[in-house]
Amino acid sequence: MGRYVLKRIGYMFATLYVVITLTFLSMKLLPGTPFKNANRLSPVQLNQLKHFYGLDQPIPVQYVKYMWNFIHGDMGGSFQFGMQPVSQLLMAKFPVSLDLGFEAIIVGTLLGILLGIVAGLHRGKALDWGTMAVSIFGISIPSFIFAGILQYLFGVQVRWFPVAGWSGFASHVLPVISLAVYVLALVARFMRSEMVEVMSQDYIVTAEAKGLSTSAVVFKHAVRNALIPVITILGPLTAMIITGSLVVEEIFGIPGIGAQFVDSVVTNDYPMIMGTTELYAALFIITMLIVDILYGIIDPRIRLSEGGQS
Amino acid sequence: MGNLLEIKNLNVQFDIFGAHVQAVRGVSFELNVGETLAIVGESGSGKSVTSKAIMGLIPNPPGKITSGEIFFDGSDLVKYSQKQMQKIRGKDISMIFQDPMTALNPTMKIGKQIMEGLIKHQNLSKNEAKTKAAELLKLVGIPNPDKRLDEYPHQFSGGMRQRVVIAIALACNPKILIADEPTTALDVTIQAQILDLMRDIQKKTGTAIILITHDLGVVANLAQRVAVMYGGKIVETGTLEEIFYNPKHPYTWGLLSSMPKLHAKTDKLLAIPGTPPDLSDPPKGCPFAPRCPHAMKVCVDHMPDYTKLSATQKTACWLLDERAPKVDPPATIGVGGE
Repeated sequence: MGRYVLKRIGYMFATLYVVITLTFLSMKLLPGTPFKNANRLSPVQLNQLKHFYGLDQPIPVQYVKYMWNFIHGDMGGSFQFGMQPVSQLLMAKFPVSLDLGFEAIIVGTLLGILLGIVAGLHRGKALDWGTMAVSIFGISIPSFIFAGILQYLFGVQVRWFPVAGWSGFASHVLPVISLAVYVLALVARFMRSEMVEVMSQDYIVTAEAKGLSTSAVVFKHAVRNALIPVITILGPLTAMIITGSLVVEEIFGIPGIGAQFVDSVVTNDYPMIMGTTELYAALFIITMLIVDILYGIIDPRIRLSEGGQS
Repeated sequence: MGNLLEIKNLNVQFDIFGAHVQAVRGVSFELNVGETLAIVGESGSGKSVTSKAIMGLIPNPPGKITSGEIFFDGSDLVKYSQKQMQKIRGKDISMIFQDPMTALNPTMKIGKQIMEGLIKHQNLSKNEAKTKAAELLKLVGIPNPDKRLDEYPHQFSGGMRQRVVIAIALACNPKILIADEPTTALDVTIQAQILDLMRDIQKKTGTAIILITHDLGVVANLAQRVAVMYGGKIVETGTLEEIFYNPKHPYTWGLLSSMPKLHAKTDKLLAIPGTPPDLSDPPKGCPFAPRCPHAMKVCVDHMPDYTKLSATQKTACWLLDERAPKVDPPATIGVGGE
């Protein structure tokens, strides 16, 4: 197991390196310059500015310089924010996005698993149809529609929760729900089909033949096995929710990193684009690693076949 | 010897895609204390469904017991609720399954899988159950039981897994052990070991066994009495000797003939031509009539009654009617070597 994790961490850095390189190159293909009103500047002024930011050097040189600084923990300064260090800017706003994302993932996953179990156990009955109908809505309606509806109903009409902002529990409820609906819907669908599949397995009959109660059969034998494939989708889903919370952040006026990312792309704030992408990439890669480790914990077959070498 | 289990006129039906498949049609038999009864028949004859009905494990829907009684210990299990059946299953009646590769939960240590039943039925503490589980593993011939309790099913071979399945079934000293094709999925050498083990265990524990199989070799090895099923009905029943040396039903003849023999003069395998009847529209008469080389007009229209041939053997066949022509069993049924 230890050796497996080490190997995976090695791959993680390789992946991150490829992501940084590709982002750097494609970013240089963006049209325009980082400078406002560039067409009103004289060529001399433009060259001075470019020289100041190191943009007059050939791209390979810029790339090597960037990588060198990056390895030494320097992600550069943001063009839009008077050369404030990118790492500082990211750390100021990222925790809010992370918070929102994880709350949505946890709420959505737990409720999704529960609904999936219920639907799977009542296959073909009203409860199943109802759950799956809700789930189709959840998957097909984008989160910003939910955000708007929730804001109107619970923020404007009945005034249970604040319409916008990010302070205190009440302000978390609506944005987290709008994001969690998709997670819930997707997880519920997966969990349902896995439950149906697992409940028809021979070892479930063995468990029943032991005289175990229905709840023992379901929770001790079926759920754990049904969770294995569900965990697989949790990795990409987590990354997607955390990076995709941008629109919801905008709607609820949440001071997250999403809006800043869009601004940095629009203004060609190169260090900021790089920094945000690196952060997202790292987050995605780490989530995948966690999912793989979780996989091993739940399924002993994976744990041992990988750990056998060490 | 008293009747441990008595099944009377059991009917099981499955409603699948609008059709009513009558998998078991009026099956009656009894099981005595400590004996081994084999139920033989080809796929789809209703033998597995009969065993599941005894366990109360017919999936409902689509299946249900439409009529009949299953008397165990003086009470009718058909009338039992799921809750009541949970107290019988694994304690008084337990089951060994066909495929050991899929019968164990892949994500649970086998020790825990054995202990579950013990904790539920015998109110043992975790530690007591663990000790008992180790004893059970030893009983079924698994070396290093204490260490192996903490292993997962994928760390066991097929034969070893079947031993674990047997250990689970034996955990609470059941009065009846239902073995549904216990050796079908195993290698021939392992088959012999598992059969030896089952015989050995029966000697030690005195449990009665219902052996469901299509393999007459297994039957000859283990059973004292045999019930031959075809088309959801028992067509012939008798002691092992009666069924092997004095069979009266043409289907039993066919089964015995199709057994490969060591000293056969031809290297051709004999088969019974045709396929079993469609039980969503069961035949009016004898279900075997369409495949029977001796079928008469009456066979197609009327199901024969049982003819009692001895205190233990009875056969449902029109050939045994006094008006029927005398038909001798084919020479091919001779039991190999004797």
